[in-house]
Amino acid sequence: MLLPALAGLVLFQFAPIVVGLLNSLQSFNPFTHRASGWVGLNNFVEVLAEPSFHWAVLITMVYVVLILAITIPLALGLATLLNSRRPGTTFVRAAVLGALAASEAVTALVWNQMYDASTGLLNALLVTLHLPAQPFLIDANHAVVSIVVMTVWKDVGLAMLMFLAGLQSVPGSVYEAAALDGASTWKVFQRITLPLLRPSVILVMFIATVGATRLVTPILILTQGGPGGSTTNMALYSYNQAFSFNSPGHAAASVVCMMLLLVALTGGQALLLRRRGGK
Amino acid sequence: MSNAPMLNEQQGRRGTSLMWPAICVLIGLLFFFPILWAALMSFKSTPAIIAERFPLTWKSVVPTSPTFENYVTLFTSIGFGRSLLNTMIASIGQVSASVVVATLAGYAFARLPFPGRDLLFALILSTAFVPLETILVPLYNVARALGLTSTYPALFLPFVANPFSIYLMRQSFAEIPVELDDAAHIDGASRWRVFWRIALPNVKPALATLVLIQFIWSWNNYLWPLVIIQNPNMQIAQVSLAALKSIPNFPMDGPLFAGATILTVPLVLLAIVLQRYYVRGLMTSGIR
Repeated sequence: MLLPALAGLVLFQFAPIVVGLLNSLQSFNPFTHRASGWVGLNNFVEVLAEPSFHWAVLITMVYVVLILAITIPLALGLATLLNSRRPGTTFVRAAVLGALAASEAVTALVWNQMYDASTGLLNALLVTLHLPAQPFLIDANHAVVSIVVMTVWKDVGLAMLMFLAGLQSVPGSVYEAAALDGASTWKVFQRITLPLLRPSVILVMFIATVGATRLVTPILILTQGGPGGSTTNMALYSYNQAFSFNSPGHAAASVVCMMLLLVALTGGQALLLRRRGGK
Repeated sequence: MSNAPMLNEQQGRRGTSLMWPAICVLIGLLFFFPILWAALMSFKSTPAIIAERFPLTWKSVVPTSPTFENYVTLFTSIGFGRSLLNTMIASIGQVSASVVVATLAGYAFARLPFPGRDLLFALILSTAFVPLETILVPLYNVARALGLTSTYPALFLPFVANPFSIYLMRQSFAEIPVELDDAAHIDGASRWRVFWRIALPNVKPALATLVLIQFIWSWNNYLWPLVIIQNPNMQIAQVSLAALKSIPNFPMDGPLFAGATILTVPLVLLAIVLQRYYVRGLMTSGIR
């Protein structure tokens, strides 16, 4: 009964990880793409010397930080709204879930139309409001923010659901007790809701970190990693090394670096949060 | 208690009863907007889209003279039908194969005692921490070595053994009381019969969840088909559509919106109508 699952996982999960590790230590014939010998850590030395790789590492972290910084408060706000069961919240829930279900690539194509610098809908709106038009996908800083905004729009629903589950697990009697003591809404949120949501916050941070590290499709569609490589993160860097620059060794080395960074980021978060929780 | 404070309270309630629905509608429309706008634009000719988009007027978001020409162009001269068929083949393959694989594995992990079971289960769950994008390049090398390049199975085989789905099924089978199995065994039923007649009917909601979430995931594929399918006739619609984005001097905005509408609106409606199952699937995948 386990055989199909194990075969699938071994072939398409474990084998790629092993192949990636092995390839990162090999050199390749540039024409046949066959491994042509062991080169130790040479691929890593070369990749780590590349300024474009340094930028990719930096921009990977920028995506993670920005996406976390926007997703967590927004998701918490939306979850609090849904938890209030006020009239109209079912509409919000449907809209957020709709964005989450829609194809990432296809919605990126639509956002690409909205972001268009000369005749895009967002700039039409800005000009109508007598604000200056923005080079959404043309300027490096704008492009990073544009990609982040689209990604948050698409994925905030998952974090919202995690927070909602956390909020619903808080017993109502806790709030009744706080209300009897005359605590303000903000105090209740700060002193009762937030501490009780700790497990949800840890979960959301973890999921959003993995999600932000693996970000590729919106970047490919909105900017192709440009302008001038400024929006290329590690995932897209390895994709380019493999499929555009014909260098499987560098691609594999950057894949290994990306996995190490992911482990470091999530592991670091876990340690940090556990230590603060133990206090 | 006097009348005055009660009246105030009622007025206050009426005030919020108008304010919150308005805020909710606004937030909801913001989230629906990109998909809604694409659907509206799909009924507008490409020249009209470009001419009326800038500066912003009501015409920028409404089809002034509705037309089906984008859909006609999409299916006649662009050949979107074939791509859509490919998407459906990949989707049916992914859903059916992953349901079979996850159900069998889930049952084994929930009910069959064998040495090293918990360790193996933990090992399978650990693969959930490695998203496709991080192993894309080596996965491509493995699939190429297996001769899967530009084949239909390549579109879905890597997603068939999915740790979330196995986890979901294991939890669901584990919730069935063991006494039910025991009673059937005493009556002389074989293990296969117990699985088929007792276990499966008891996990129908989980199966519905699994079908829905795998279906939605399969329509979200883009990067993997982009690299593994090199024959344009076998490419899925999500990838083919992106090619319409950048045809120099030949704007395809209308057909692009029509394709985006076909690929998102039914899926979004499905997720909303079946959100009970969708949310359950998401929460399981979130537990990782």
